[in-house]
Amino acid sequence: MSAATWREFMTWNKYTQIASRAVRQALTETERVGAERRAQIGVRYQLWENGQGGESKFVIPQVEKSGKPKDT
Amino acid sequence: MSAFKIASALRTLPRQAALARSARRGYADVADGKLSLSLVLPHQSLYSSTGVVQVNIPAATGDMGVLANHVASIEPLRPGVVEVIEENGQQAKKWFVSAGFATVHGNNSLTINAVEAYPLDKFSAESVRAGLADANRVLSSSAPDVEKAEARIEIEVFEGLQAAMAK
Repeated sequence: MSAATWREFMTWNKYTQIASRAVRQALTETERVGAERRAQIGVRYQLWENGQGGESKFVIPQVEKSGKPKDT
Repeated sequence: MSAFKIASALRTLPRQAALARSARRGYADVADGKLSLSLVLPHQSLYSSTGVVQVNIPAATGDMGVLANHVASIEPLRPGVVEVIEENGQQAKKWFVSAGFATVHGNNSLTINAVEAYPLDKFSAESVRAGLADANRVLSSSAPDVEKAEARIEIEVFEGLQAAMAK
């Protein structure tokens, strides 16, 4: 394989995410369903003030397949 | 005079023995001289400090085989097959690994952290072919260089899978 041309464009983390996405695409149907579910990554944050936590929000709003936003 | 020399020689003995003990490497304690393997994914531990005979890993710098008491080394992995030989003479167990790191610690233990790893029979040749065709299409189109780099990574994965499944 040509020596790491991806290094010009992305970090190692992004490289692993792309390679893992490709591996998941290559699975059989039944395996892929479980794998895709496991592969979901969401980051939430919560602002705290005076010892009280604010609303817990997703960095990227998660959306169910039907188009409705997922709650919590 | 000679008694004095003998006494002082005897006094230094325990210290030299202690130095010799600390200079010797400590080995991860697995019975019968096996390598201690931990092969872990984010969602599952395939091996957890289990004694194995040999592990073949697809390092970015080339394939390598790790036996017991291997020198310490840190290797990023490329998409490829990890083979584990648990007992002498047994068939290797294989998993296709997407990416990760293999760390040989200096004490006869190997840790492989992988993002995705599946046995080869969980893959579908048709999906691999379709993925390869899509990636090649992106590569020959006029997409920006970033997307072409991503397509090259996917080609590496799918070609590695095809080679592994063909064996």
